[in-house]
Amino acid sequence: MSEQEIREGMLLAVWDEPPLDFDPDALIRRVEQKKSRRRALVGVGVATAMIVVTSLTLPGLLPRDQDSQLGSASQTTTSAPPSESVDQKAQRIGDKLAEKLALRMTNLKEVYASFRPGAYAYEPNAPTTTSPRSGDPELSGFVYLTDEIGPTAIQVVLTKSKNAEKVLCMGASTCHDVKQNDGTTVTEAEYNDGGPDITRAVSLRKFQSGYYVQISSFSYNPATNQGLRQTVPVPVAVLTDLVTSPGIAWQ
Amino acid sequence: MRKADEQGFREFAAANAASLRRTAYLFCGDWHTAEDLMQSSLMKMYMAWKRIKDLDNLIAYARKVLLRTWLDEKRRPWRRAEQRDGELPDAADVSVDPDTTSAKLWARELVHTALLQVPPRQRAVLVLRYFEDLSVAEVAVAMGCSEGTVKSQTARGLATLRAIVEKLDSSSGRVAS
Repeated sequence: MSEQEIREGMLLAVWDEPPLDFDPDALIRRVEQKKSRRRALVGVGVATAMIVVTSLTLPGLLPRDQDSQLGSASQTTTSAPPSESVDQKAQRIGDKLAEKLALRMTNLKEVYASFRPGAYAYEPNAPTTTSPRSGDPELSGFVYLTDEIGPTAIQVVLTKSKNAEKVLCMGASTCHDVKQNDGTTVTEAEYNDGGPDITRAVSLRKFQSGYYVQISSFSYNPATNQGLRQTVPVPVAVLTDLVTSPGIAWQ
Repeated sequence: MRKADEQGFREFAAANAASLRRTAYLFCGDWHTAEDLMQSSLMKMYMAWKRIKDLDNLIAYARKVLLRTWLDEKRRPWRRAEQRDGELPDAADVSVDPDTTSAKLWARELVHTALLQVPPRQRAVLVLRYFEDLSVAEVAVAMGCSEGTVKSQTARGLATLRAIVEKLDSSSGRVAS
């Protein structure tokens, strides 16, 4: 079989070629449709990828303990570090306060703190509520201590409520403001209830952001409403030292 | 795409569609597949028209695209492997010359049976060399290989084709020349 025969054979092989029904316009339309489908597909793909990336990266950007913060509406965490939950903050502040108090008053024994987020325990005679209410503090609790007389506690409240400041000087035997170098104001108040001894001492620090930290000492154990004694176990000067302690990040 | 470019492509496609389909038919041995190959190749060319419209030898580029499209199609595991045996006419066509018809039928058999048994790249070389009448250099450009490869593939393809045709002829009683 020669090359010429192959050539002729191939030409003959296309002899029964069916009629060509080719429309360039239809082909162009098909290509344009294909292009627009591809563009739409790419758009959907990019959108899907963005959603996936966002959903994967967003949890990492939010605070880790977001659920617990959302759960309690009254908690204010605007000035708290984003990675620290209210529980962690309570633990940290409680530990620091107990440590500072034990250092400041060496006669005290068994100094430890117990804080709880959101619970309202401002009024010493009022029972600690379990359900959050409007105006509840962010944190409240007690620093327990044992002195020569016996076990008692001082009360600590961290809040944004202005009520603490409004009523502070009412009925106080002494009440005065002490400006601090960092721009905060500390109000010291002492009460004697008509007697010669101080029955209540309060040191209230007001931050420029409107945040309040109040530490109170009573002539009884505010944690149990018992253990009445003649005067407060911790004087107001020590309470002010605690409330202005630079080692404690209150907000 | 600009209207002028679109018109240029339209003219090119209309002028070369039939030729490309014939080449595709000799590659694959089936007119339907050939038409699909031709259309796919032209679609690819349309998408790249802005870039290729000024090439010196557009039809050579089109053959190259056609060859690649066919080889890609063959490589696909789900490729169509359907082989048609042709349709029988309802009645005999008395107007045709029996000798001519015999030659044409033999040619068709050459394509359907013999050429399709030649390995794809060798078959492509044979089609481009003997049907499209391309030079060795032009085939090398279309196939994307060296001229030496074209020559060796041609020699092997011819040997394979001759062996198959000889076998066909001996089984059908036709004397191979």
